[in-house]
Amino acid sequence: MSEQDTPIDTPSAVAATSTVDASNSLAPAADERLLYRSIFQRLFIRPEVGAIIGIVGIWSFFWAVSETFGTVGQTFGWLDTASTVGIMAVAVSMLMIGGEFDLSSGAMTGAMGMLIIYLVKETGELGGRGFPLVIAIPLSLLVALGIGYLNGFVVERTGQPSFIITLGTFFALIGLKLGLAKRFVGQIQIGRTDEAADFDFFRLIFAAEWERNTHELEVRDALYIGFIVAGFGILTLAISELWFKRREKMQPVGLVMFLVGVGVGVGGLLGLHVTDGTAANAALVAVMAIGGFLGLFGWATWRYEPSADRGALSLDSQMRRRLGVGLAAMVLSSIAAVAIDSSSTNQILFPFTTQGVRVILILVFAGIGIGLIAMASQAALSVNAATKFVVTTVFALAIGIVALTVFVDSSDTKFRGSLFGVVLAAAVTVLIWAVLTFRFEERRTGSARADHLGVRLLALGSTLLFVGLAFRMLFITAEELAAGVPPAKTSVRLLWFILFTIAMMWVLARTRFGSWTFAVGGNKEAARQVGVPAARTKTQLFMLVSVAAWFVGLLVAFRINSIQANNGDGQEFIFIIAAVVGGTLLTGGYGTAFGGAIGACILSIPAIGISSARWNTDWRFLIVGVILLLAVVSNKFLRNKAEGIRR
Amino acid sequence: MKTSKKLLAILPALALVAASCGGSDSSSEGSAASVDSAAPAATDAPEEVDQTQAGDLTFHMITHSDDGPFWSVLKRGADAAAADLGVTLVWKPGVNDAQVMVQDIEAAIAEGSDGIAASLPDPDALVGPLQSAVAAGVPVITLNSGSNDYQEIGALTHVGQTEVIAGNGAGERFNAAGAKKILCGQQEQGNVALTERCEGLAETFDGEVVIAFMGLDADTTEQQNTINAALAADTDIDGFMGVGPVITLSGLRAAQDLGRDLTIGGFDLTPELIGEIEAGNIAFTVDQQQYLQGYMPVLLLFLNVTNQNTLGGGLPILTGPGFVTPENAAEILALSEVGTR
Repeated sequence: MSEQDTPIDTPSAVAATSTVDASNSLAPAADERLLYRSIFQRLFIRPEVGAIIGIVGIWSFFWAVSETFGTVGQTFGWLDTASTVGIMAVAVSMLMIGGEFDLSSGAMTGAMGMLIIYLVKETGELGGRGFPLVIAIPLSLLVALGIGYLNGFVVERTGQPSFIITLGTFFALIGLKLGLAKRFVGQIQIGRTDEAADFDFFRLIFAAEWERNTHELEVRDALYIGFIVAGFGILTLAISELWFKRREKMQPVGLVMFLVGVGVGVGGLLGLHVTDGTAANAALVAVMAIGGFLGLFGWATWRYEPSADRGALSLDSQMRRRLGVGLAAMVLSSIAAVAIDSSSTNQILFPFTTQGVRVILILVFAGIGIGLIAMASQAALSVNAATKFVVTTVFALAIGIVALTVFVDSSDTKFRGSLFGVVLAAAVTVLIWAVLTFRFEERRTGSARADHLGVRLLALGSTLLFVGLAFRMLFITAEELAAGVPPAKTSVRLLWFILFTIAMMWVLARTRFGSWTFAVGGNKEAARQVGVPAARTKTQLFMLVSVAAWFVGLLVAFRINSIQANNGDGQEFIFIIAAVVGGTLLTGGYGTAFGGAIGACILSIPAIGISSARWNTDWRFLIVGVILLLAVVSNKFLRNKAEGIRR
Repeated sequence: MKTSKKLLAILPALALVAASCGGSDSSSEGSAASVDSAAPAATDAPEEVDQTQAGDLTFHMITHSDDGPFWSVLKRGADAAAADLGVTLVWKPGVNDAQVMVQDIEAAIAEGSDGIAASLPDPDALVGPLQSAVAAGVPVITLNSGSNDYQEIGALTHVGQTEVIAGNGAGERFNAAGAKKILCGQQEQGNVALTERCEGLAETFDGEVVIAFMGLDADTTEQQNTINAALAADTDIDGFMGVGPVITLSGLRAAQDLGRDLTIGGFDLTPELIGEIEAGNIAFTVDQQQYLQGYMPVLLLFLNVTNQNTLGGGLPILTGPGFVTPENAAEILALSEVGTR
């Protein structure tokens, strides 16, 4: 079809493809800097990829096994837990990228919280009325900067490992906390931040809270769904913009089709909002899906080159075998789902009951099936477009079978509704992608214009998704209130965590200080020789960690209004674990700030999740240990892959 | 090294025996120092003898203290007893290291201690050294932990609160409050004492008890959110017991966040905790009155050394559970700020 549409373009496209193919096959000889890497390949080799896969996995796991874990209240719970740990983990990640450790970071959070309370507290031995917070906060910041500077100074002057130096600071801080507390207050728990005159003002900055149940918004669901759908739509366009090869000349027919598709989709969405009833809903969802596909196809027709050489279906014996066995496994999985009687509800936790065996059979067969078919489609990618299309379609159908199995199998509304929807959406996505990649030519060269637009659309789509989720999280509807949804609240701590993470990502990626951080962590001597102020950079990193500890200390002091002297002790290892889980290397020179933030979330999810699932908490640290081991192994694996791609 | 230490430990005991044989009355036995001054002192009036000897008496209190809020109150009790009785008290905090405690005990015997009060966090390591103290003629009293082993040592008695009995008391309180299902939250994993508190609660409580680790005191944010998650996952829970003061307050905050009205009980005292009890948000806290665990051993050692008294009839002397409730919270708060509760 496409050959007829654009006969003139075809030769050049073929030529372009063949040259690229030639350069691919000659990769070792060609200049590796000229080899095109798509933006997805570049995203895939980022250090935090393992952590992102991990957080999706562990979240899904606890979502599946617990009734309450996925609720807004508990989501705020693990986000709040991750906030204070995360701010530290981000700062510690940066220090570790710079090649150093700070074992005093945990004890310092508690120390700084206590310091603030000392400064504002009315105590006899400190002499009369304490300072207002407006003085106490900058004063304690100076102390924090001093401790950080001292850590950095001693490490640099002595040339001893920071592990040992900061271990000294760690013990010194513990002793100081205890000694001073008992000296001045006579107790080790000191309290009443709110004795400060200007407490209420600073409370807004450090501990303002948002009660979801008192913020009713009638149009919330409309906004939520609208933003989510728009976000997904724009993300799809962004990915196709980055994925496919642009036409020389746009096809206006496609634009019309795109607009009509969007119109139909929006119409379906609006209809869905006003109507009620299952049949009408299903019909309108179908309308939306058709509109969406039409729009996407129109967009692609408008902008992208039709594929040149699709080839014919050709399956080698291995692919055939994999597809056959895979499909057979899928069938067995469905049989297990239908044939074995399921009378009880979700019993994933009990592998030795009939229900448990059934679940295991379903999962094992489905896993084998999906895995084999995925392997076949992986192999098919490199054959030709037609083969790829066929195998990918089979892959989509296999996922669809899983969706139906879930639907038939589960008496649990959560699985029946949510999981079915998600899996079905995944199947549809794969199917649509199969059609698009069959129909249009993939891009194999760099294109600044397409990348520019694609990245901006990616950012816009993600922002819309985020805003949609925020509406869902922050506001409540009348129905939910009537149904007695338990109160949920979040606080400004989460906002600080997000802002701090973004700020540090920016520092690492865009500033000279960021480059220096990587340089001194990678090879300090080499960095010094090319003119990087290594000692200063490292000292500043230590100061960054102590400022983060100061900030977290403030957050804690404002949150619970009192601090015990052992607050934060031992947490330094949690920060380091979060950084490592987030893909930062212990040896320095490699890592991200974002990874540290994700790592903190990965550690806080099991803490809340085990409680939500009502499991025996004795196993909790086992889970933390397993996560750490898995993270280290998978990060190493992904890094090797990444180096392979780089080459 | 060890044998020579043991030899050293026996020497003052021999001296002691010699002194008591040569002395005119029973009150002359006491410190090794009294050997030097025994002869002139023994000829003086009995009251004076007692006074001199009291001034010379040195007791060692060797515990696993970390000088935390709990132990600082206990130490205040011991210091007050020493001051009241006019004896010298040597305070040796072992900071949860049994090896340090063993060395301190051996050193105390070697110095010729007049009496040792020791806690027994690790009976396997500590029973032996304390037995040799008894063998050396040094009276021993165990305090705080050691209710299972004090008899084996040959100690005069044990002054403390058994965790199980404290938990039993808490269970009765929850019964009275009409609770049906309690979450017993722990702030440490694998701590025997904390587990016994929860198990003691389960013994007397009529309803169901869920025992679970709810996050460390070092991260109160996580602790509160973990309790929140546990409460949200089980709406039948209508009571919470924290086996420490910090986790009790975390439990209160979690319940408040969820808008749940729980009966909350706690362990140990802090001004914040007592403030919440006064405000009616927390029903009670179990107080093991550790001031007594400091005061009483010194007093009992003194009475034993000076007057050959024993108290308790071979049974442990329980200092708890005392309860702080809204009725007595105000007075306890005042005492707590002084540092004796």
